[in-house]
Amino acid sequence: MDAILNNAFVQDLIILAKPALYNIYFALASIPLGFPLAVLLALAKNKPNSWLRKPAEIFIYAFRGSPLFIQFFMFYSLFLAFNQSTWKPLGIDWLVMSPLFIGPLVLVLNTSAYSAEIFYGALRAIPKGEVEAAQAVGMSKWQSFRTVTWPNMLRLAWPAYTNEVVFLFHATALIYFTMPVIDRQKDLMNKAGELFEKDYALFVHFSAAALYFLVISIAIFVLFGWINRYLNRHLSTSKPLSFKANYLR
Amino acid sequence: MIEMLPEWLLGWLGEDGIATLNYLSNGKHVAWYASVKYTFIAAFAGAALAVLFGLLGAAAKQSSFFILRAIGNTYTTMVRGVPDVLFLLFFPLAFEQSAEYAFAYWRCTPEEIATATSWPLCQAAQWYLGTTEYLIMACVSLGLVYGAFAANVIYGALQAVPKGQLEAAQAFGFKPWQVFWHVQVRQMWVYALPGLSNVWLLLLKATSLLSLLQIIDIVAWADRLGAPNFLPMAGLVHPDWRWKYYLALFVFYILLTLISERFFKALQARVSRGMVRAE
Repeated sequence: MDAILNNAFVQDLIILAKPALYNIYFALASIPLGFPLAVLLALAKNKPNSWLRKPAEIFIYAFRGSPLFIQFFMFYSLFLAFNQSTWKPLGIDWLVMSPLFIGPLVLVLNTSAYSAEIFYGALRAIPKGEVEAAQAVGMSKWQSFRTVTWPNMLRLAWPAYTNEVVFLFHATALIYFTMPVIDRQKDLMNKAGELFEKDYALFVHFSAAALYFLVISIAIFVLFGWINRYLNRHLSTSKPLSFKANYLR
Repeated sequence: MIEMLPEWLLGWLGEDGIATLNYLSNGKHVAWYASVKYTFIAAFAGAALAVLFGLLGAAAKQSSFFILRAIGNTYTTMVRGVPDVLFLLFFPLAFEQSAEYAFAYWRCTPEEIATATSWPLCQAAQWYLGTTEYLIMACVSLGLVYGAFAANVIYGALQAVPKGQLEAAQAFGFKPWQVFWHVQVRQMWVYALPGLSNVWLLLLKATSLLSLLQIIDIVAWADRLGAPNFLPMAGLVHPDWRWKYYLALFVFYILLTLISERFFKALQARVSRGMVRAE
């Protein structure tokens, strides 16, 4: 038992357990806000004649077309510029300037743009006949959305959305490269880098961090696979969500 | 530079406009604009290597030899579970350490190695990396990471080549590698192009991470130029302007994406002339 515990790799896994919680926090804090925002953006983009369509399109293009790394830097420095004039007098600088706040904020904007594009694609793929059938039986707009558009959109978008969530989790590794570490709140990459600088045992520390990312990614796939099965429960041919669903963002 | 502008333009710009132009064309800003070369070198060399690694990976994936297939599948799935930034930091460091390990046996005395307590094993084995070395390693690691993405795309495209074409080539007596290279790879590009354009866009955005490898690229310069500038002679030149510089980079990358998309759209239209479209 002691031999296992004294193993450098196992030691690393124990040390990195707390930093991993920061990555999980960043992902968990941004998904519940990013999901509804993405749905709203997708619905706005799908409206053919609406003053909402253009802003939604521009937002999605801007956040998908630029690196997340730059977005983190941009928002952090933007918030920093207002620190003395606004946040400090209001007494909220401890909250607003914290990476624990700005990180999820930027992630929400980024992931909602990427997910909105996925949901938009799903909205366009909803079977026309089902929408027409809903109209034919006299459903109101809201009823038809609730019973036809929404479940179909979710079902069609789910495999791609699963991928997006995994990418989002991986993107949390960038937060502490762009913002200062407050109160030793180090995430996986940060802590692995710190361990590396102590003894230069590159392979041990980085593979321990990689293992955490890998395991949590697989957990996301499994969890979202269950939801996928639930969403497709009316289809007799529902296949389990493949681990090779889609490689690209 | 500014003096060469025509009279009417200077009049239109006014005092403030000329001052801004002077500020934006001073030595440090020119160095910033010049540093965009690192971004482009990394993007183009990385993309070329990504296509190369992608071809190798895809060939390994569709090999009939079990071990090659396992290597190909491991390579293409590894990028799925782990963030690209981890690989981007890991590959250069791993390469540097391996080189220093080799240097140690070559340059250090056995006593030094036996008594070594830290890394590198002796001073002579230390390898000092400059920007060029880091840039080469950044290109290689970008190529490796996005090569895995490209391998998936190319593998799918290789499968999309009509089987009849391959059988016809076999019937004409082509050797297996000739069928692969002259028929399958030749015809694969058109199917791979949409996926490869996505990989290119990802890679382009990943070039913003070069500053993590100690390359003074556009991101590192933006940070330096935007930081509060205080000169003892002139006082505070400007407060914290970093957000303006990052906003410029934000727009710059969106423009690059826009141009790339236009380019790939035109390319797709050109290469698929004469093809039967499913729509």
